[in-house]
Amino acid sequence: MTVRLPAITGIGSVSPHGPLAGLIPTTSVQPDIIAAWTTDGVRRAFLVKKFSPASVIPGLKTRRLDRVSAWALVASCLAIQDAGIDLTEVDRSRVAVVCATGFGCAELTEAFFQCASVNGWSGTDPVTFPETLANAPAAHVALVHDLRGPNITVGSKTFSSESALIQAATLIRHGQADMAIVLAGDTITKAVYSWYEVANLLSPACFSLEPVPADAGFVPSEGVAALVLEPAGSREVRSYAGLRSGRWAAGGHPAEAIRQMLNGSIPNLIIRAGNGAPCATSPSDRLAGEIAGYGVPILQPQPVAAGLAETGGLLHLILALSNRPGSGQALLLATSGENGFAAIHLELP
Amino acid sequence: MSDIHKTVVVTGIGVVSPYGMGMGRLEAGMLSGKSCLAPCHDLYPGFSGSTAQVYELPFLATGTGSHLSRTDRLAALAALDAVTDFDHKCVAFRESGVVMATTVGGLSEIDPEIGQDSAEWYRRGGLSRASTYPVAHVAVTVAERLGMRGPNCAVSVACASGAMAIALAANLLLDGAAPMMLAGGSDALCPFTLSGFNSLQALDPDPCRPFDRNRRGLNLGEGAAALVLETLAGARQRGANVLAVLRGWAMTNDASHPTAPHKQGIGLAACMRSAMEMAECGPDEIGYVNAHGTGTPLNDVAEANAYEGAFSERSRPVPVSSTKSYFGHCLGAAGALEAAITITAIRCGALFPTLRLTNPIESQSVDWLRGEVRRQPLPLAMSVSAGFGGSNAALIFGSERA
Repeated sequence: MTVRLPAITGIGSVSPHGPLAGLIPTTSVQPDIIAAWTTDGVRRAFLVKKFSPASVIPGLKTRRLDRVSAWALVASCLAIQDAGIDLTEVDRSRVAVVCATGFGCAELTEAFFQCASVNGWSGTDPVTFPETLANAPAAHVALVHDLRGPNITVGSKTFSSESALIQAATLIRHGQADMAIVLAGDTITKAVYSWYEVANLLSPACFSLEPVPADAGFVPSEGVAALVLEPAGSREVRSYAGLRSGRWAAGGHPAEAIRQMLNGSIPNLIIRAGNGAPCATSPSDRLAGEIAGYGVPILQPQPVAAGLAETGGLLHLILALSNRPGSGQALLLATSGENGFAAIHLELP
Repeated sequence: MSDIHKTVVVTGIGVVSPYGMGMGRLEAGMLSGKSCLAPCHDLYPGFSGSTAQVYELPFLATGTGSHLSRTDRLAALAALDAVTDFDHKCVAFRESGVVMATTVGGLSEIDPEIGQDSAEWYRRGGLSRASTYPVAHVAVTVAERLGMRGPNCAVSVACASGAMAIALAANLLLDGAAPMMLAGGSDALCPFTLSGFNSLQALDPDPCRPFDRNRRGLNLGEGAAALVLETLAGARQRGANVLAVLRGWAMTNDASHPTAPHKQGIGLAACMRSAMEMAECGPDEIGYVNAHGTGTPLNDVAEANAYEGAFSERSRPVPVSSTKSYFGHCLGAAGALEAAITITAIRCGALFPTLRLTNPIESQSVDWLRGEVRRQPLPLAMSVSAGFGGSNAALIFGSERA
């Protein structure tokens, strides 16, 4: 059987940079003051500014959906548009949707709990319940675009994005799909933010309007990133990057496993995809040096992506590609704890 | 499927079901025809219906101090049961991965008060309980318990989750991501989901009657199942006992409605056909289908139509039953539990009937199993799952000799 290497042919995102098709302008964004709920003093996070999905994608209906579902729809539309795909020309039974999430549809889950708190469990809302399910965003993407291939929602501690990207590439490599829409994202809600705060995980930058050092800790972020994956060369279309291989693991010997995956190749660029939580203090740079030599250029994680603690990998990748990193082989690399890692071997055109 | 490096086999099965711990109790309970569905009034004030609960859950120390949800505990116990005879210290075991499915996850640990003042609820002890909420937590729990350091992820695709976890683990195995994969699903009964399905008027207050014309809805249950998957080459190398061969798997989506299945079951039929294509078998070779069979009016008709679409070319109707009639719908665990039951059917040569099925839906292509357990050799059998959001998954298992 011929091995089909997947390539990234489309990018879409709904992030604190706004809803965008393609690469993201390399301007930095600052955390916003949270106004969606009452706070005791200043609280900041990287927030998606309110916008009407229908103003970005005419006719798109997102009423009564969780924000993650609405953003997934917008991001998927923008990625498909960026890839120049006319879905009417595509066999949509062969298009997969693979979505990564950390907290699922947290906004409506909270609303459901609130309803139960007020009315009791016997008085909950039947319209809200199905929209609380973690796979609702991927399901809505399939429904709107009529995508009838595998529809998968995964969560992987720290590496949800990387896991989704690797598994989507696997579907294409094994001929279980001819195209995949890969999504990753989360939303900040009162309960999510409070959890970080009570657990003492937040950076001082969350509580102050004064600038603090960029590496001082964790500022939560939100949004959804989307990629279109296709077998390389299946259409005459621009490729942002080819996906040669990928691995992630909860432990073991990262350098050994990644070298084995690279199969003798040495990347000339490392794209670090760390999250902003305390576990991001793991030695990614040292690992990068072990694999590619200590002089290898390393693109450090950007706070706006690092704030998407469980699902930042895709946004890290998009931001790195937006920096026009040149051609050659690159390694998207994230670590967690002592030996947890995710590594994706990329071919940049 | 002659390449032993590309043939996926099952070498361990662990189960926690309303029958108790282990495959032995599940098998004995189902062969006796005992239903675990019973009236339940205590899950939340005002609820009255039938559920199947796991009683006398064995003690499981919390280990590193992190809180475990009931879903985590069920998952860890099933996983430990699956690897009872394994050498936990060997390299292959330690490098193995985990794909666990859940829909409930840590929702069972969270109180409605979180919706009012979350910070206060965390300060009153909710912080560690809420840490079990992220989808990934159940897979992390299992991997930590077993010392498996390979790829680790959770799958949450509503009621198709458990079967999909097995399909994704098989994909990772073929990709060479790990020498072994532990795959399955776990879900606990909790007020959140019970209330949700109740609000949708999807629950039958009495024990459910899948595929019956007088069916009125589903019952919720709880449990967990875990399968150890490895390549036939790997299994032979370590002298493992092969319990079954995973001959084919497929995943599709209906893309027709957020909650209801496609009326004609087109997506599910396509899924079953794809799985048969991978298994390189024809519809006549499938000796039994363990159905999704929830007992809801919409699901069962759509599913019956799907069987018409997938098995219309058979020379005789395909035997089908819903084992949710024994212990309800275990949501994210359902597909994994039903995979375990399908393997049991193959190994015992026993086709389990649907309980309480007296007046089945009319179908030209289906032989609805009811009454007594049917005894016959079963070289190949299929387990199908479907869920909210239109997801479908099909798994085909064969005997180790098939």
